[in-house]
Amino acid sequence: MLLFVARRLLYLIPVLIAVSLLTFFIASLLPGDLAYVILGDQATPENVAALRKDMGLDQPVWIRYFGWLGNILQGDFGRSFRTGQTVLQAVTERLPVSFELMILAEITGLVIGVPLAIVCAARSGSAFDRFMTGSAFAMLSVPAFLSAILLIYLFAVELRWLPATGYVPFTEDPAANLRFMVLPALTLALAEWPGIMRVLRSDMIATLQEDYIALAKAKGLKASRILFVHALKPSSLTLVTITGINIGRLIGGAVIVETIFALPGLGRLLVGAIYTRDLIILQGVVLLVAAGFVIMNFIVDLLYAVLDPRIRHGHA
Amino acid sequence: MKAAIRSSALARIFLVAGFGVAFSAMPANAQKAGGSITFGLELDIPGFDVLKVGVFDTSAGTAAAALFDTLTYLDDKGVVQPKLALSWTPSEDFKTWTFKLRPGVKFHDGTPFNAKAFKENFDRQKDPANKCRCAFYIAFVNSVEATDELTVVYNLKDPSVNLPAIVSFPSGNNSVQSPTAWKTKGDDYNRNPVGTGPYILKSWAAGDRMVLEKNPDYWNKGRPYLDRIVLKPLPDAQSRFASLQSGEADIIWDDEFDADNIMKAQKDPKLAVHTYVGSGAQVYAFNTKVAPFDDVRVRQALVMALDRKKMSQAITNGLAKPATNPYGEGSWVKCKDDGALPEDLEKAKALIKDYGKPVDFKMLVTATPRGRNVGQVLQQFWKRAGANMEIEQVDQATIPPRAFMRQFQLTPWRIIDLADPDVQMYANFRTGSPVALANYSNPELDNLLERARTTADVNKRIEDYCAVSRIINKEAIWFWTFQNTYYALSSAKLKGLPKMYSGVIDVSNTWLE
Repeated sequence: MLLFVARRLLYLIPVLIAVSLLTFFIASLLPGDLAYVILGDQATPENVAALRKDMGLDQPVWIRYFGWLGNILQGDFGRSFRTGQTVLQAVTERLPVSFELMILAEITGLVIGVPLAIVCAARSGSAFDRFMTGSAFAMLSVPAFLSAILLIYLFAVELRWLPATGYVPFTEDPAANLRFMVLPALTLALAEWPGIMRVLRSDMIATLQEDYIALAKAKGLKASRILFVHALKPSSLTLVTITGINIGRLIGGAVIVETIFALPGLGRLLVGAIYTRDLIILQGVVLLVAAGFVIMNFIVDLLYAVLDPRIRHGHA
Repeated sequence: MKAAIRSSALARIFLVAGFGVAFSAMPANAQKAGGSITFGLELDIPGFDVLKVGVFDTSAGTAAAALFDTLTYLDDKGVVQPKLALSWTPSEDFKTWTFKLRPGVKFHDGTPFNAKAFKENFDRQKDPANKCRCAFYIAFVNSVEATDELTVVYNLKDPSVNLPAIVSFPSGNNSVQSPTAWKTKGDDYNRNPVGTGPYILKSWAAGDRMVLEKNPDYWNKGRPYLDRIVLKPLPDAQSRFASLQSGEADIIWDDEFDADNIMKAQKDPKLAVHTYVGSGAQVYAFNTKVAPFDDVRVRQALVMALDRKKMSQAITNGLAKPATNPYGEGSWVKCKDDGALPEDLEKAKALIKDYGKPVDFKMLVTATPRGRNVGQVLQQFWKRAGANMEIEQVDQATIPPRAFMRQFQLTPWRIIDLADPDVQMYANFRTGSPVALANYSNPELDNLLERARTTADVNKRIEDYCAVSRIINKEAIWFWTFQNTYYALSSAKLKGLPKMYSGVIDVSNTWLE
């Protein structure tokens, strides 16, 4: 097991280097000159030249890349030229918001998706199964910005049950925090549960064909016990994978959802950095998020090994 | 309730009649103290240290108007009134202005406000070593001297007859900040600003709520009325409006591209629409040194081919107000004859025919849905007149460098709402100025611009600026599409919002009914 973990960890290094390269070069491909952005519409060419020199923008791009990477290896991700905040400060301020949002969205997605999948698998082919599979497909096609606005109009403007926008830190007032989080988490979950349900349903249908399930039935075990205890765990391998991958998708979704619901999370930080050409924040945040995603997938790999001994022992 | 319905109906009448009036500034009922409001801003505020942020955008402007004071302010008639300065006098040639400061004012951290503190603010922005982006806007000032405890003297490079109005705008340059605070807080000052204003910064979570509390020691006794102002960035237009409808926000920033919601608010008796048409305009500059725009007939044809009303309908549901000169309704420059070319498609066709060669050109367009939309509408107008415009989509940030290097045929630009037309008109049209984008030179125009900036008599200045407009319109070196119009939507209970000069929504003297 230790060897397995060590080998997986080694794989992370080239992946992270590739991520850093992509992040940096995509950011430097963005049109517009950072010096002009900082100095504004009224900059003189001399000022621009001086600032470019100051910031090292006159250097070739690969020299700037290694300079950036070198600083990062020493823990210095740089500082926003607009707010003077360091990347790490900005990320640590915003991360809890996005993290909570993602966890809540994922839990909500699982809470909706898993029971539905089990019921559909147990009665596959029934009218309920066909209806749920159809609605899952329909929900999958509704973009987050649409469901967000619809939810706001229903729950905030018409019914006045929940706030439309805003945020209170969990540490300050947990109840209020959750009230603000319901609609954003639900918006993300609405796009999550269909995938969860469809994957788990089809895996479960396959598991339910296995001989040991037939044996369990023959022994006279209760149907619910068979479904939840005997069939769920072996069917959840693909579910674990997509839950892991979903974290990446949720980061993408958070960009939209945090903007609409005005949550001060990482997604908003990214959007703001793009609009204001805050490349240092942009590069730093994208790199950290990508690294988080890669590590998440690494954890998923480990979970796989826990769930399925064949992988752990290299037989898969 | 009745009053709310009435004010909303009034809003509609004013809009229909075409008056940009902040109607809530009409003779008010009794002002009530106490209460708290939440303001939905458009953007995250990056901070207040002018060396870091360079300029304040409209979101920062709203906070700055509450946290800081300026020397003067403009009342709703556009007349300069005292704030941190009590009085001011120009020298004969308008190159020196002396301001007498208000005694006994303290910054929120206890530092006394005096001429020395004011000078430190100015020097910090002006110092070339600080490389402040803000320095551009004070380039016309040579120095500020503190001649005694409560007297500051502005020494100007060029005469300015309107300096007291120019320094009224709560910009990064004019907002007076505590020197002790920025010296002791260093990098942290940006997010912990200290001023003399009616509100004190209580807390500020990044990207989220900024809480401002009433300054109990404010020099203007009895002000402000509200105990607390909460500023929240709500970047999405739909959910921002939903927050206003559901009562989470009491007032929100808006613009004419959100026309549907503005019209909805006009019909809602619980909401009020505040609007102000400022000076300046959305403008476009031809590069007159390159074909086909080296020929005045082509330029005139393109301007005549415009149909601004249709364009306003297409992009803002008819809210955007056509502009025929660079000054606008909010400016004190009012022209009987601004020399605007007629909107006449047939004449435009004839001029292009007369030119004889095919008219093909590229126009810079910002790569945003709004930019593309505007570009496509213009493309259609010009196609009907027989000219082929190709849209060149570029990032917003690449337009200034392209414009300064004159790497364009036709570019969008903007004249912002300032208290005096001089700074921008002189920069945009004086021969040889880096921002004189049209590359056009005309001694008559130069003379008028020089004279208008040094004349004290307002009527003579108006005459000169109208003559300037006539030359520009006739030569069609720039053209104007729409006036700068600003919007705020609020609960009908919020009263006392002043005119939104320069687009700043100043809630620091509002109250709840």
